Amino acid sequence: MNQRLTISSALSRAAQLLAIVLATTALQANAMPSFARQTGMNCSGCHVGSYGPQLTPAGIRFKLSGYTDSDGQSGKVPLSAMIVTSFSKTQQGQVPAPDHLKSNNNLKLDKVSVFYAGKISHYLGAFAQFTHDGIEHVNMVDQVDVRYAQTHEVAGKEVLLGVSVNNNPGVQDPFNTMPVWGFPYVSSAAGVGTGDAATLINGGLEGRVLGTSAYAMLNDNFYAELGTYKSMSTKLQSSLGQGSDDTNKLGGNTYWRLAYMNDMKDQAFHAGVFGWTAAVKPDHTSSGPSDHYKDMGIDASYQFLGTREHMATVNASYVRERKLKGATSDVAHLKEARINASYYLNQTYGASLGLFSTKGDTSTDSTRGKMLQVDWTPWGKEDATAPEPFSFANVRLGAQYWDYNTFEGNSSSAKDHNTAYLFAWFSY
Amino acid sequence: MQRTCALTLVGLAYWVPSVSQAQALDVAMGGKLFATHCVECHSTKEGRHKKGPSLFNMVGTKAGLNADYKYSDALKNSHLTWDLATLSKYLEAPKAFVPGGKMKYDGMRSASDRAQVINYLAAQRPQ
Repeated sequence: MNQRLTISSALSRAAQLLAIVLATTALQANAMPSFARQTGMNCSGCHVGSYGPQLTPAGIRFKLSGYTDSDGQSGKVPLSAMIVTSFSKTQQGQVPAPDHLKSNNNLKLDKVSVFYAGKISHYLGAFAQFTHDGIEHVNMVDQVDVRYAQTHEVAGKEVLLGVSVNNNPGVQDPFNTMPVWGFPYVSSAAGVGTGDAATLINGGLEGRVLGTSAYAMLNDNFYAELGTYKSMSTKLQSSLGQGSDDTNKLGGNTYWRLAYMNDMKDQAFHAGVFGWTAAVKPDHTSSGPSDHYKDMGIDASYQFLGTREHMATVNASYVRERKLKGATSDVAHLKEARINASYYLNQTYGASLGLFSTKGDTSTDSTRGKMLQVDWTPWGKEDATAPEPFSFANVRLGAQYWDYNTFEGNSSSAKDHNTAYLFAWFSY
Repeated sequence: MQRTCALTLVGLAYWVPSVSQAQALDVAMGGKLFATHCVECHSTKEGRHKKGPSLFNMVGTKAGLNADYKYSDALKNSHLTWDLATLSKYLEAPKAFVPGGKMKYDGMRSASDRAQVINYLAAQRPQ
């Protein structure tokens, strides 16, 4: 509790500092937050639809370059903030109501985040998110990715070499197909999402591990990455806001990623494979055997970029998990398939459709449905920025509708979980 | 003779607007290419620097002299003048043309595309 209070007061102080800094910089220049301020680029330069996290090829290069590209000017403040607030309505009220929520019609402040996002030194940069979860009323260290990257020339070819230290396998990935940065980029805490069954690489140990990976990008085409992770101690997890109820302990493990991408300027695509093979002891307080996970995925994306007036994207992934239970030698399988397509007009008006399917050996692992999103992002473009002195701010207003065919094995009452979600997503 | 002159005048009357139309079309095409290849890192608004400098009124100027932008030493010391031929060579392979420069763009292979972009840039000047 004291640790949580300490983090809470630290976040409060950071928020006050951020407010002062942003107010100051707003008066100094036509600034935009963090990365945009650092590079002088608009949100639309790196993000599809002028809002994160879906990256364009320019955004992918920026991330892999260690968040260090800049316009060369000094005095840029690498701090940003984000607020997500929403209204959720499910087709049938939930009985009993989920913790911290009403049974239906929830108007909530979903989260408030403060970021350190930007260059630390010439080759070192960081994306570190500190979040107040408005539903759970918990402050936590959220996604963290600190990376060092340098570009070299080898045999006439450009080779980008880098190292990432992060707290969630996949958070360092530059494509929006793996679970961490995959569609949808925001969703309702009052809804049921894609169900409880999820692969280990789909956030199984998010924020509870610390790991490092080394990566290389050859000629802006071939991407390879290899890494490993270690569980944080229960005390450290607790002090970072993750609580102390998780008993998993990660043993030997290997994270890997291979991809080919091609940026043709008016369009771009990537195709790749990834995986995480890990031994996880389900109860670190006992001397029992570990479970052995083998998660493997295949993914691809396509982006029509054109003159940026009309943009369209497709992202797809398929993850297969094999879990060998140490205690019983039973084998369980889980398969996650995701595909989504989006269209943006003038990098402002967006419509997206996503299909999701999770299947396991038992019917209760199976969830299948679709989600439609429409959104409006008025700023973050060269010809459209927020009014002074907040020209660096951006907002996305959106509506989602989740429609379930099957939810955790049940088709007859699946529609009861259909969820309408209206959100306002601010960033500064 | 009079008939020949009359035909010539009629021909010129058609030719003159068609040349300006072609130039306008070229500039418009160059604008689209600029939006596709350059706009993430460059603006053509005066004083609007991104990762790369503003390209307003840059055709014909000396390289690396915009005081508001921090150029690489390589470009500052290149002593280049951005005339049409130099710009074309630079856009074809920036990293090879100015080794050590900041521009990460791989290059525009098509000479006609480069010409259109340069025409577009040449049109970005005080009216």
